[in-house]
Amino acid sequence: MNTVAVKRLFAAAFVLGILLSLPVLSLAQEGDPIVIGGGFGLTGGMASLDVPASNGALLAVQEINAAGGVLGRPLEIVVLDSQTEPDTTAQIARQMIEENQIVASVGFTDSDSALAFGPIMQEAGLPFITAGATSPKLPDQIGDMMFMAPFGDNTQAAVAAEYAFENFGPNGYLLTNLGSEYTRLLADFFKIRFEELGGTLVLEDTFELATSDFTPQITRLSALGTQPDFYFISSLPEDIGPFARQMRDAGFDGPIVSGDGADTPLLIEVGQEAANDVYFTTHALMDGENGTEAVQAFVAAYTEEYGHAPENAFAALGYDAVYLLADAIERAGSTDAVAIQTALNETENFAAVTGSITFTGGSRVPQKAVTIIQVVDQQLTLAGEFVPESVPAAEPAEEPAATEAAA
Amino acid sequence: MNAQAITRTSPLATWVGVGIVAGVVVAIILLLEASGSAFWQGIFITLGMFIILAVSLNLASGFTGVFSLGHIGFMALGAYIAAILTLPVENKEELLNLPGWLATIHLDFTVGTFPLGFLTATLIAGLIASLLAVVVGAVLMRLSGHFVAVATLGFLVIVRVVLINADDFTRGARTFSNVTPYTDLWWVYGWAAVTLYTIWRIKFSAYGRAMFAQREDVAAARSVGIVIMRSRLFAFVVSAFFTAVAGSLWGHFITSFSPNAFYFDLTFRVITMLVVGGMGSVSGSVVGPVLITALAEALRRLEDYNQLYGISGISLALLFLIIIIFRPNGLMGSREFDVEWLGQRVLRALSFGRRREGEKPERFPAGE
Repeated sequence: MNTVAVKRLFAAAFVLGILLSLPVLSLAQEGDPIVIGGGFGLTGGMASLDVPASNGALLAVQEINAAGGVLGRPLEIVVLDSQTEPDTTAQIARQMIEENQIVASVGFTDSDSALAFGPIMQEAGLPFITAGATSPKLPDQIGDMMFMAPFGDNTQAAVAAEYAFENFGPNGYLLTNLGSEYTRLLADFFKIRFEELGGTLVLEDTFELATSDFTPQITRLSALGTQPDFYFISSLPEDIGPFARQMRDAGFDGPIVSGDGADTPLLIEVGQEAANDVYFTTHALMDGENGTEAVQAFVAAYTEEYGHAPENAFAALGYDAVYLLADAIERAGSTDAVAIQTALNETENFAAVTGSITFTGGSRVPQKAVTIIQVVDQQLTLAGEFVPESVPAAEPAEEPAATEAAA
Repeated sequence: MNAQAITRTSPLATWVGVGIVAGVVVAIILLLEASGSAFWQGIFITLGMFIILAVSLNLASGFTGVFSLGHIGFMALGAYIAAILTLPVENKEELLNLPGWLATIHLDFTVGTFPLGFLTATLIAGLIASLLAVVVGAVLMRLSGHFVAVATLGFLVIVRVVLINADDFTRGARTFSNVTPYTDLWWVYGWAAVTLYTIWRIKFSAYGRAMFAQREDVAAARSVGIVIMRSRLFAFVVSAFFTAVAGSLWGHFITSFSPNAFYFDLTFRVITMLVVGGMGSVSGSVVGPVLITALAEALRRLEDYNQLYGISGISLALLFLIIIIFRPNGLMGSREFDVEWLGQRVLRALSFGRRREGEKPERFPAGE
């Protein structure tokens, strides 16, 4: 009888599910470690940023334990894969809270994932530090348990605008990927700061998610009377390589400027010689020889552990997020969530690999220096570290709702 | 098809059977609520939502043979419409840029503790999706085979592009957040029960039989007076309604989403569940989601435990292949779980039922 077969399958699947959950359940009872959560999209669309971030976080936990742990107890991180799916992201948050009894969590490098994960941590009253999501609106959207390890997009866009205005000129070109929260915000902030400085955008153009052919955009660019002094592209990791290539092939040799979405090995792998003269803002230059002392130490430790240099700055951000949390737990003197939150709020001049982090101003978005990287001879080189003169407010794109027509 | 095949020989036994199934579901819900585990509640809420999606897709695709790849578009519309309607006014001003008449509508009111506004918003979302389905279906349901699959896929793409560009209403590609988490187990399983009952009744009605008849042989169906267009369109519109309801439930559960969430991934997840369960079987569309959800969860834990990230996707794909090879009609085919049989077993055990030696009713054969 078929229904019998179906019932057997049910039973088998159920038993399998229970059996597999047992080892995870028993972890929480062994020894006396302080358990923190690590939510990362290890598979799916965010893997190229989240895998390095997760590696960085694991490395930090290892180092902290080698140095005696936190509050004299070992630190344990439960890394779960969100598969870059919103419902799995929410589920792993619940799983960490209920089955692993985490005291706080770190993770994710994009705003969409942080927005799916954060509210569940907030509701449970547990602090969450995002490793690399850069939307400066996140703490307000999610709540008082939400902290950011990186600077906000308004800061990096302001630095990019100031740098481009001073070094390249007042006529800009803006190309935006419409497919993500990050690219839309970055473009908005760039435009605000660039026009504030007196610059003019001679052309504003857009493209859809997963575009690999930029011919229509380049054609519109060619049709311009006067060429812009530089080209700003607000893009995701997979866009920058093909864009640089196609621009250079079409004869546009001017500087291409972008945000930390361009901080990916794909830029040089895909762009090759076309990547020269690309400038982008990011969190730190992962250079084992010319970087700051902290960066050099991090690059050495990472290379020893994983057999290759950090893929991008997100490795360092994952590492920083764990150290930031461990520091707060140490200062709180307990694993109580509110005590950790208070300690995080009191963070002042915390020396992280990606720059100094301070939350005491009441903002849970750190004001860090922004690194600008320039590609010279297919090598990432430091163009400088900058603090913006003025930063656009975190709420630029939203005009007040039209209420005059209210019925 | 003979009429005897679907005659309910004992309404009492059927009701007892339905009562037992409902009782088990209610018991599970009460147990989950008592446990206080948001994680397991989340699993069952997602499962209930997938049951609604799979059953409604079954109506549109399994019953009629018109393969729709665009249903998740209706789900996206349901999620966005309902979320815009229930969003508290202060968040509307902060997040969106709505026209005046819409900015003042807020279906976040409750009667006692019952969120009537959420129910209203869900119904409105379902109705708007159905209206759209009438317009879209009137064109697309004329197509068959591969053509309709491609055309409905086109619908999905159009919905996504519209959502991304309707910035003032949806925040564009940016995440729509701060949705009130109204959805709980009772809402999901309440709607799942309504969906199952409605679609079950459709399957065993003249409309349903017309759908199956034209699926098997269009010319023969026409020859007995079945209007192909009408039966397909009816299935498409009802299905769009429940799909949009599932969208609203999901939106008010996950509370933050972007147009990227409603795309190929979700489309193929629901199709997998439908095909594994059986195209044409309402109970198959319950079995499919239960099986896939249980396996996906078990495999996810296995990969986190062993750090074999990505293995769950591969295993599920293999399982899907095996099922397609050995059971091309899915686990249930067009057959149904026999609630009457269950009811009779219980009645007999309680010695209320009449003994019916060798008179077990046939199952609905659906022309196989």
